[in-house]
Amino acid sequence: MQLSTVQPVFKLELNHKITPDVVTIAKYDGTHPCLTASAGYDKIIIHHPHGGMVSGRAQRSQAHGEVSELNLSQAVIALAAGPLRPDTGRDMLLIGSPTQILAYDVHDNTDLFFKEAPDGVNVIITGFFGKHAETLAIIGGNSSVQAIDWEGNEVFWNVVSGKVCAMITFDFDKDGENELLIGCDDSFIRVLKNNQFIAEIAETGPILCLSPVNEVRFAYGLANGTIGIYEEGIRLWRVKSKQNALALQWSGDTLACCWSNGRVDWREGTTGRVLRRVQMRANAAAMLLADYRSVGAPDLVCVSDKGEVLGYPPYQENTGFNTGTKSMPSDEDRLAITELFNKKQALMVELQHYEANATSGSASVENLERPASAMPTNTRLQVAILHSPEEACLQLAVSTNNETVVRAALVLAEGIFESGETFIRHPQPSQLRSLLHVPLRPPRDVPVDVHIKALIGYPDSEQFHIFELTKQLPRFAMYQSFTKEVRNKGNSYVTFRITERVQRICIWVNQNFLLEEELNIESEETKELHINLLCLRDQSYLYMDFAADGRVKFSTHDIRLAGDLIQSLAVYLNLTDLQVSVFTLILINLYNIHPD
Amino acid sequence: MDYDLSRIDYGICGITYPDTLKILPPSGQKMEQKFAIGDKNGVLQCLSIKDEEPVVQFKTLPGKPITSVQLASSIGSQADKIFTASGNEVKGYTRKGKVFLSIETSLTETITSMYLHFRCIIGSDLILCSGRIVTYYRDLREYNSYVCDDRVLDIAAFASTRVRLLVLIANKGAILLENGKLISRTIISSGPSRLTVPPSTHVTDIIAFYGAGDGSIGIITYEELTLSSKCLVDGRGLGSVVCLGWYFNNGNFHLSVGRHDGSIQLYLVDMENFGEKPRLKYTYFCGEPVTSVVGGCLGTEESELLVATFSGRIFGLRSSHLVTGAKVPQDILATRRGKLEVEVARLEKQTANEREKYQRNTRSLQAGLSTPPLLDIEHELLGATNDGWQEVRITSAVPLDMLFINSNKKLEMQTDTAAVLSICSSKEAASDLLASVRCQAGTRRVWVKMREIYNLSTGSKFEGSRVLIYALPAGAPRVARLVTLKLPALPYYSSHEALEKNFEKEERVWCQLEISGNFSVAEITSWLTEALPGELPRPASNVSFTRSHTLLDTILVCQYERGHATFKSDNVSTIATIRNIVSNCSVEKSIRVEMSCDIPHNCCLESFKQLENKFKQEYKKSKDIILKNAISMLDLDSSMNEEGPILCQDYARVWDSRDSINETRFEELVDIILQWYLDWRTLSLLENFNNESTKLEAALKECKVDDIIKILSKNLS
Repeated sequence: MQLSTVQPVFKLELNHKITPDVVTIAKYDGTHPCLTASAGYDKIIIHHPHGGMVSGRAQRSQAHGEVSELNLSQAVIALAAGPLRPDTGRDMLLIGSPTQILAYDVHDNTDLFFKEAPDGVNVIITGFFGKHAETLAIIGGNSSVQAIDWEGNEVFWNVVSGKVCAMITFDFDKDGENELLIGCDDSFIRVLKNNQFIAEIAETGPILCLSPVNEVRFAYGLANGTIGIYEEGIRLWRVKSKQNALALQWSGDTLACCWSNGRVDWREGTTGRVLRRVQMRANAAAMLLADYRSVGAPDLVCVSDKGEVLGYPPYQENTGFNTGTKSMPSDEDRLAITELFNKKQALMVELQHYEANATSGSASVENLERPASAMPTNTRLQVAILHSPEEACLQLAVSTNNETVVRAALVLAEGIFESGETFIRHPQPSQLRSLLHVPLRPPRDVPVDVHIKALIGYPDSEQFHIFELTKQLPRFAMYQSFTKEVRNKGNSYVTFRITERVQRICIWVNQNFLLEEELNIESEETKELHINLLCLRDQSYLYMDFAADGRVKFSTHDIRLAGDLIQSLAVYLNLTDLQVSVFTLILINLYNIHPD
Repeated sequence: MDYDLSRIDYGICGITYPDTLKILPPSGQKMEQKFAIGDKNGVLQCLSIKDEEPVVQFKTLPGKPITSVQLASSIGSQADKIFTASGNEVKGYTRKGKVFLSIETSLTETITSMYLHFRCIIGSDLILCSGRIVTYYRDLREYNSYVCDDRVLDIAAFASTRVRLLVLIANKGAILLENGKLISRTIISSGPSRLTVPPSTHVTDIIAFYGAGDGSIGIITYEELTLSSKCLVDGRGLGSVVCLGWYFNNGNFHLSVGRHDGSIQLYLVDMENFGEKPRLKYTYFCGEPVTSVVGGCLGTEESELLVATFSGRIFGLRSSHLVTGAKVPQDILATRRGKLEVEVARLEKQTANEREKYQRNTRSLQAGLSTPPLLDIEHELLGATNDGWQEVRITSAVPLDMLFINSNKKLEMQTDTAAVLSICSSKEAASDLLASVRCQAGTRRVWVKMREIYNLSTGSKFEGSRVLIYALPAGAPRVARLVTLKLPALPYYSSHEALEKNFEKEERVWCQLEISGNFSVAEITSWLTEALPGELPRPASNVSFTRSHTLLDTILVCQYERGHATFKSDNVSTIATIRNIVSNCSVEKSIRVEMSCDIPHNCCLESFKQLENKFKQEYKKSKDIILKNAISMLDLDSSMNEEGPILCQDYARVWDSRDSINETRFEELVDIILQWYLDWRTLSLLENFNNESTKLEAALKECKVDDIIKILSKNLS
C-alpha cells in the first residue's frame, strides 16, 4: 500500500536523541502536558511548550529553548508519570534506574521517595489496581511485580515467571475493578487480580507492548512482529510484520501501531485492515496519546529517535486516502471496475487451470509421455502424528496415496521451531518417497496449530501440486502412553479430590493427549482410571491415577507439568476452587484455581 | 508531483512482453487513436476506446507468443501498418486486421523469443535482432548482419541518406552500426535496457534516451563521429526500466518510464536541450511490472497515458479534471460496471463448477491425469557485479504467497523489503541450505540475491551450486512452479570483453590450460556453463570469447573447437577451477580428456602486483570500518563542539565519510590471494607447506606488502 499523504497537525524538533521506549507525557503542573524522555544514558529531557519552569535541578538545554535537562547519576531504564499524591492533581515523575526507583515532583523540585528495587526495573506504570483507592506505581522487574504508593510503601508484591516486558491496568473480568495484565518474555500474558493469577494467555513470542482498547478489548504486540487484539480473552485478529511494534494506541476508533522502523499505521479495530500509513524520517522512539495542543481531545504523539515529534489527530474516515477530495459516484464505479478486473483476471487464471486439466483428463496414468506438471487426479494427502521416543520428538508423517512423491513439506507453526516459524523438509533426490517425516518438538505444553503445505508430484516434475492441511497438536502431545505396569511411581506427586465421573475425565484425556488409540471406558461400572505416560523431552514418566473415591494423583518430577495438568483439568471441569497437595522436596499449597 | 492523473481500467489480455503495446496514429479527421497489443498467447488485438470502454477493431487467433509489436508505414502514408514478431516469424497487418505480409526468417536456430526485437521498417528494410545478432533485411532478403558481444536488448534506426543502427547490448553499452560494420561504441556501466528516440527530431541527429537496469535514465548522442552517453537521472533505488515511451501534454513532451517495480514516471523533457536533466512530474504505482507506457489520444481529445502490465492489465492514466469532469455519462459507467459484475458472477459460477468437478476427480477411483498448465513465472539470473551478489528476479502473473529455496551449497541471501526471508537448517546434509521467502499480499515480483560463502577449507568451489526455487502462488491454482538455477563457480566473470581488444599484448602473466580429447563443442559449452555466468556463445565450429573479472579485473580468454580447448587467464585460481570442472564433467560423461597446464612461476607475484593498489585501498577501508564502528559507539551528534573539534583529524575524516564506508572486500581479497598461492603450488606440483601459507595469510591480514612479495617470490629461482 502506498504511504498516505496525511500531514501531522503539529511537528517539532527536540534536538536531542531519544532512547526508544523511555518516553512519557505528564502534566507536572496539573494542566499542561510535557513530553519527557531519556536522551542518552543518564539524561532526561522535559519539553515544556506551555511556559518555562526552569527551576531546581533541571537546566535549560542548549540545544532547544523549550527543553530542560535533568541529569541523574544512573542509567535511565524506564520513565512513567501519574498523579500519585492524593493531595494534588499534579503528575509525579517516576524514574527507573537498574536497581532503584526515584519519584520526583518536577513542579516543586522535591523528591517524593527513593526506593531500592533489588529485582531490577523493566517497566513502570501508574494506575488504579483492584480495591486500592489511590493511584499506584507498579514496577515490573526481572521476575516480579511490585506496587508502591506515593510514600514509597509497598502495597503488594508477586512473583512472575518471566521478565516483565509490558503491563497495563485493565478490567479483565468486568467486575468494576482493574486487574493487572502482565506481558512477559516467556510468551505469556498473565492477569493478576488480588495477588492471584486468574488467567494466562499463551502467545507465540515475548510480549513487547500491551494497550487497552475499550472495556473488553486490549491490543498486544510481540517481539516476533505480531500485533493483535483480544476481546474477552479471545483473539479477534492478529497480523505479522517484519518489524517489531514499539507502541500501540487506540485513537479515533482505530488501532494506531508504531513500528520500530518509524512507520505508523492505523488499523481497523475488528479486522486489523490497514486504513492509512505514514513513515517517520527516522526510527521510532515512542508513540503516546496526549492532548498536546490543548484542544480537548488527545492526539497521537509520535516521537522518533532523532528527536522529531509529530502529532496526528484521531483518524477520520474522509481523511483516510484522498485528503480533501470528495469521492464522486463515478470514481466509485471506476474503482469498482478496477477491482472487478482484478477478480476477473484471477478467475480466468483459475479457469484456465481447470480447462487444461479437462482436456488432458482422458490421458491415462500409464501414458509414458508424462507432462512436467502431471499428477493422478485422485491423489490425496494423509497426515498423521506419531511419537518417536528414539529421536525424542513427534513425527509428522505426510504421505500420498499413490506413487507420487512428497517433494517438499513446509510446516508453519509458532513457537515450535528454533529457526522461526517455518520448518522445511526437502529430501535429496535419491530419498524421494511418497512418505515424508517431519520432526516436531514443541518446547512447552500449549496447543499448537500446525499448518502443512506439501508439494506433491513426480521426482522430475517442473510443477508440483500444493496440498494444504492444518492439524492441531493437543496440549500434552509430547507424552506417549505405555501399558506396562509400574510399581514405584516416584515420590514427587500432587493429589487432590474431584467428584466427577471417570467418563468425563476420559474425554479430557482424549482431547488433551495424543494417544495411539482413543481411551474408552468399557463399562459403566468402571470407576478407576490409570494412565502411564512417557515424556518425549526428557524420558521422564508421568502417571495419572484417578481412583474410584475421586482421589486423583499425578506423579511427575516436573512441578510445572503438574500445575499445567491441574489447570487444564480444572478449566475443563469448570472448577473454581481446588485444594491440591504437593509432595515433593518443597511442600507448597500451590494453586487456587479460578477459571475465567 | 505536478500532474494529477487517475486510473481507468480498460481490459485484460494475456501476459505481455516489453513494448508490445503501440498506439496507432489518428486516421483522417478523427482525433481518437486506436492501439494494438500483442500477448504471450499470440493474440494481437486492435482496440479503440469509446466512453472508457474498449471496442475491438480486430483480434487474431492465438498462436506463438508475440515478442514485439511495431508500427510502420508504406511509403508516403502514416505509420499505420502493424507488425508482430513471434518466434522466427514476422507478420504485417493493415489497420483493418488483414495480413499482408508473413515471413519466416532463416533465424530459426538463433531466435530465442525473449530477445527477439523487431524494431524498424524503413521503406522495405527490416531489421531483426535475435540473441546476439542484428540482421538487416532489404526487400525481404538478408542484406547484412552483425554479431554483437552480448545479447541485443534494443535497437533504433536513423535513416537519412544511409541507415545507421543504434544498438543496445547487454552488459556493454551501445554501438552504432552502418552497413553491418561498427562505427562507434560507448560503454554504459549502469546496464541500459531500453532506448527510445525523441519524437520530432531531425532525422540526421542520432540521439536516444535510455533506461537502465539500475533505474537510471540517460541519453546517448553521436556527435563529431563519437558515440557518447550521459546519465541524466539517477536510479535512487527505483526498479529497473522495462519500457520507455513519450507522452505529449500541455504543449510539452514527457518521457514516460515503466519499471519492473511497478512504478510509472513522467519526466518533462526540454526538447531544445536534451542534455538538460528531465524533471519528474508524476509517479504512479501499479504493483506489478510495467511492460508498456505510451501516450496518445484514446478516449478523449486530450492525450492520456496508456499502460500495459506483465500480467496483461491495460489501463489509462487520464488527467483527473477529465475524469471528474464527468464527460462520460454516469449511467454508461454504471452499465459498464453492471456488465462486468454479471461477467464476474458468471465466471465465479463457472469456476466453482470446474473446481467442484476437479475435486470430485480426486475422490474417484479411476485415476485420470491432472495436468495444469505451467504457471506464468519468469525468472532472470543476473551475473555478479563487484560485490559478488547474484540476483534472481522472479516475476509472476499471479500474486505469490511464498518462495521456497533449496541450494546444494551454503549461500548468503538477501531479499526484497516486501518479503520475509528465513533460513531453515536442513537435516539431510550439513552442506545444503533451505530458505523460505514469505511475500506480502499481492506480490507479483520478488528478487533474491545470493552469494556464495567463500570458504577455503571446502573444495566445493570447483563446482557451481544448484538452486531450486519453488514459487507458491497465493490463490488458485494450487500448484507450485519449480525454477532451477545453476549458480556458476566463477560468478565474477560476468563482464564481456571485446575480442578485438588484444589482452595478450598487455603486461599480464598468462596461465594456460590446454585440453584435448574426444569432446564436441556443445559438450565443452555445457561444461563451461558450470563455471561462467550468463549466456555462452552458441556452439560453432570455432568459438572464442573473453570475459573479465568484475572485482579483480583479471581476464579469461576461452578458445575451443571440436576436440581441443585453450583457456588463458592471469588468474591462476580461475584456471584451477576450470581444470577441475572440466575434469569432473568429463569423468561424468566418461570422455577421456588430456589436460596440461602452463603456469608461469611468477604468476602469483605479478597478479598480486596488479592488485596491489586495490588491496591496499581495501585494507584501509577495512580499518576505517573498525574505526567507524568504534566512533559510532560514542553516540556523537557531531565531530565538533563549542570548543572545537573533539576528534583527531584521522577520526574526523572517518566520521565525516561514515555513510560512504560500508562494505569492504578486504577479507575476500585475502582469501583470493591465498587461494592463488595454494592453486599455484598445486598446479606447479610444488608441495604445500602449511607453514608458508599461514605466514602468507598473516602477512595478508596485516597488509605487509613487502612480506607478501617476499613469500610469493620465494620459490622463484
